[in-house]
Amino acid sequence: MGGAFVIMTVSTAAASHLLYREAWCLDNKRWDEWLALYTDDAVYWAPAMDGDEGWTDDPDNDVSLMYMDKAGLEARIFRIEGHDSCATDPLPHTAHLVTNVLVHGEEDGLIRVSATWIVHSYARMRGGSVRGGLYEYGLRETSDGLRIAAKKVFIHDDRIVGPIDIYNV
Amino acid sequence: MASARELVDDRPDDNIFRVNRAAFTDPVIFEQEMTEIFGRTWLYLCHESQVANHGDYVATRIGTQPVFVICGSDGEVRCFYDVCSHRGSRLTGRTSGSAKVLTCRYHGWCFNADGACTLVRGGDEAYRPEDLDRMGTDLNPIEQFGSYKGFLFGCLDADAPPLEEFLGGAIPFIDLMTDQAPDGMEILRGESRYMMEANWKLQTENSTDGYHVATVHRNFATTVGYRETLAPGGGDGMAKTEASRILSLEKINSGGYDVGNGHMINWADRGNPEAGPSWPQRDVLLERYPDGKVKWMLERGRTVTVFPNLLLNDVASSCIRVWRPVSAGLTEIETWCIAPKNEAPEARRARIRKYEDFFFPASLAVPDDVRAMEGAQIGSEALEDGWNDLALGHKTLVDGADEAAQELGVTPLNSNPGREVETPFFAFWREWAGRLSS
Repeated sequence: MGGAFVIMTVSTAAASHLLYREAWCLDNKRWDEWLALYTDDAVYWAPAMDGDEGWTDDPDNDVSLMYMDKAGLEARIFRIEGHDSCATDPLPHTAHLVTNVLVHGEEDGLIRVSATWIVHSYARMRGGSVRGGLYEYGLRETSDGLRIAAKKVFIHDDRIVGPIDIYNV
Repeated sequence: MASARELVDDRPDDNIFRVNRAAFTDPVIFEQEMTEIFGRTWLYLCHESQVANHGDYVATRIGTQPVFVICGSDGEVRCFYDVCSHRGSRLTGRTSGSAKVLTCRYHGWCFNADGACTLVRGGDEAYRPEDLDRMGTDLNPIEQFGSYKGFLFGCLDADAPPLEEFLGGAIPFIDLMTDQAPDGMEILRGESRYMMEANWKLQTENSTDGYHVATVHRNFATTVGYRETLAPGGGDGMAKTEASRILSLEKINSGGYDVGNGHMINWADRGNPEAGPSWPQRDVLLERYPDGKVKWMLERGRTVTVFPNLLLNDVASSCIRVWRPVSAGLTEIETWCIAPKNEAPEARRARIRKYEDFFFPASLAVPDDVRAMEGAQIGSEALEDGWNDLALGHKTLVDGADEAAQELGVTPLNSNPGREVETPFFAFWREWAGRLSS
């Protein structure tokens, strides 16, 4: 039975748990734990809008709002923790609502999961804002457990108010 | 309320140049700006690559007026008020799109891409022919529309001087961007539109302000520098940035120019020009253009701020930025990445990544700029009689061309060595005060 073919999948509960864990880390500013949820080869991608209904789909030829590898994610945390960016210091309080979690099965070696998000963000003195969109995840089982190898964030805001960063989408 | 002339305290003989902060906050001044500047000046609309084929259109606005740019059946690009000739509904349903026939969604009148009315629904039965003649059913073109090397501009004043006369001293610096592209330039897919709770003129100043870079963007430099230590090798070749140079104490050959008509230039020699996306074109460019011009193209980063609300930035990447006033305290900002057509994949990828690093509301730089300008807006409300004193660089200001300008063969009205100078702002504020006071 050598070379067994393994059908990769996870339960909705397991996928949801990882997505909720990520939201918890971001909302509680547990940055190192958040980074640890990503594989070393992870890709984090927030495409830009293209026309009224479309999104950019080729990061090598189109502009994205964010297109980062793990080093890019670590740099975002470095920027926050440096307290030298007037856009990220002070940070707003954020509350991620992650819902509609669906496991779609395996594709290209990753377990595909989609979800819907709303983030309420409150910056003192400036007030609150609500932003929403969709997530597409590519998850992978590792020796450390289920991890994020790909995350795609669709941000629905067209006239963006305030900064967009890893903590508020 | 003070007049615009009183808000700019410009006394060259006494070495005084100050701007009263009411210029950023006064709603009456804002109304004057809408009429006297945004109603009379050439304003950037879009790039020709966005309207390349019959029916392609971009909907935007000039000041408060909705307009759209569309490519006609004859291949000619025109700009019309975005208003149905019947009862004033906006015609375009999208921010951009393609339509050989535009149908008004209110009552169904149809217009072709050349602006001619092709259908008045039920018109034969209900209108007398002289009714339609009197009303005029075709779309109204804006008063003036023009292209400079693919950059499309519109102007609502039929008596304004021609586009190239208006661009004037900025033209050689615009050419430094477009002449890198033998096959022309194109806007890359991917939109960005964001709001700033601050006056539009703060963005005009910020776009050419070299003085804030070492403070506001210090964290950009350290963050990108840190990222490069995490990915040794990944930051080589064209991906290598020169962000860390922001923190360098070395004297960087740089300067600022007033090139007339309110246009401002800020430039600095690049740290590693060979990592620039157009560097592989250097030999071809040297055959075509004088050495001094090629040096300016590839070895000098430039910000070209065109009066009143356009930035062409050609430093690590290449960005078009337009900031459109909404009210005295609110501005809508839109940016695009522009690149030479048929660029090599590695160059294109590096250009895009560096653009995303800096120019978007999700980047490592623009959000800090926005917050800094919003802080300036709040502070501008604070004092009954607060003045911004723009004396930085007064000591080193010279009339005419410096050595670098001579290398390009241009003669600015004045030159100033060093990026950390405010004297280029004089160009903008003199034009601003002049237009509001005429």
